[in-house]
Amino acid sequence: MIKRYIDAGTTWTKILEIQDGKKEYKVISTAEFRKLNLDYEKSTGHSLDKIKNKYENEVVALSYGAKKYLEDDFIALDLGSRDIKYVKFQNKKFKDMDWNASCASATGATVEMLLKFYDVDIKNLKYTPEKYAVTCGIFGLEKIMDDVSKGLNPEIAISKFIHGLAYNAYNFTKNPEKICISGGFCENDCFIESLKQYCEVLPLGRFILVDGLLEMEN
Amino acid sequence: MQKDIIAFWGYPRKELINEYKTIYPNATWIDLDIDYNYPNLKLVPDNYCTIIKNIYNNAYYLKDRIIAILAPIGKDKCDSAFFVSEILKQDGFKVVQSIFEDKCPNINDLNLPISQSNLPLKEKINLITKNIYEQKDYSYLEKAKPQFGFWGVPPNDLSILDIFPNNTELFGWTRAVEAGYPGDFELEMYVDENLPTIFFTQAFCSKTQIARHLANKYNGLFIDIDTIPTNSIKAKIEAFLRLR
Repeated sequence: MIKRYIDAGTTWTKILEIQDGKKEYKVISTAEFRKLNLDYEKSTGHSLDKIKNKYENEVVALSYGAKKYLEDDFIALDLGSRDIKYVKFQNKKFKDMDWNASCASATGATVEMLLKFYDVDIKNLKYTPEKYAVTCGIFGLEKIMDDVSKGLNPEIAISKFIHGLAYNAYNFTKNPEKICISGGFCENDCFIESLKQYCEVLPLGRFILVDGLLEMEN
Repeated sequence: MQKDIIAFWGYPRKELINEYKTIYPNATWIDLDIDYNYPNLKLVPDNYCTIIKNIYNNAYYLKDRIIAILAPIGKDKCDSAFFVSEILKQDGFKVVQSIFEDKCPNINDLNLPISQSNLPLKEKINLITKNIYEQKDYSYLEKAKPQFGFWGVPPNDLSILDIFPNNTELFGWTRAVEAGYPGDFELEMYVDENLPTIFFTQAFCSKTQIARHLANKYNGLFIDIDTIPTNSIKAKIEAFLRLR
């Protein structure tokens, strides 16, 4: 029997499957996940119905998932396709949190859209010291388009946008010394390098929330 | 059309309420702060307090039926309410201004049966606001052992209150109303520092300043909502209640 733990985000669904004690992690598109109609033990993420006794709050799942890997004091930040959220623990106790789904709408989905629009490979993005102010994603996009139309290489423009996102993430978490980051941005070197200009960064990977779901059940 | 409504917002002075109850014993009392889904007249800028928008929309929709508006304009309400009261007066409403800034003499020894009861949070707030004109005795309610605190004014959309457990104690302006001192700032600022508390205000309300200050001071959660709470706001509250 396969046990599944699901984090269904706006764009991507992260799955932890456990069969005969063996763990397997998968990422599929949320559109594909919907078609598969899979059974699962627990779920999180806003693309799934909140089924009683199965659904867990995303910040709670993040807390449980991150706690397992970290020390007594930590800030875990999850930067998704459409929102940004963090939780802070101090002396093993919950201290602070925030969750922004409006002004943080310029996150993963926007970066993916930009890469597609300008036909840029994410591997070619490098940290750039300059950044766009992307507190409002719409203004950020406007600046990219302006600069590209004036001849700036789209790779550099998107890197400046990502640097802006990293700076926003740092400010959103109230300027900590260290951020443990969860979500697809862990695999974005340009973002990690940009964030490192401001604080120590520990990438936790994309599966912290599904690990949290399992942890909560245990 | 026959005029049959005494309208009000906030908490008008008790003697004013009693006076109008005596003069118009059969009148219907309508709280203009509440959203009754009447047409949005767009009389204020979009980015403005929803409660003030409600006052305008309700007042104009019910204009032909309103006998008088009892209009708090002091520290017990806000500057915007003073502006509304003057504009409505100029527009032909009978507006009776009220300032209810009396100091509470016994902040640490208050009788707050509704705020401290085990009733659902939504019911607590509804009872307190209705009791502004009903003036019933709720001292029979049993006191609950509080687990969380909710500080603030009655939200425009009460659905966020369903997230809280029943043993959530009320603080802020709503508590001050139950105590009978809506303009006592010290009472409004009081919270139990041992209770994990959510500090709520309407977006674009000047009380956001004190809500954020108190949330920082007491390690609570600051929330401001404009009209209807997003799923993320609700999830944020749920997470706070689960993790604290």
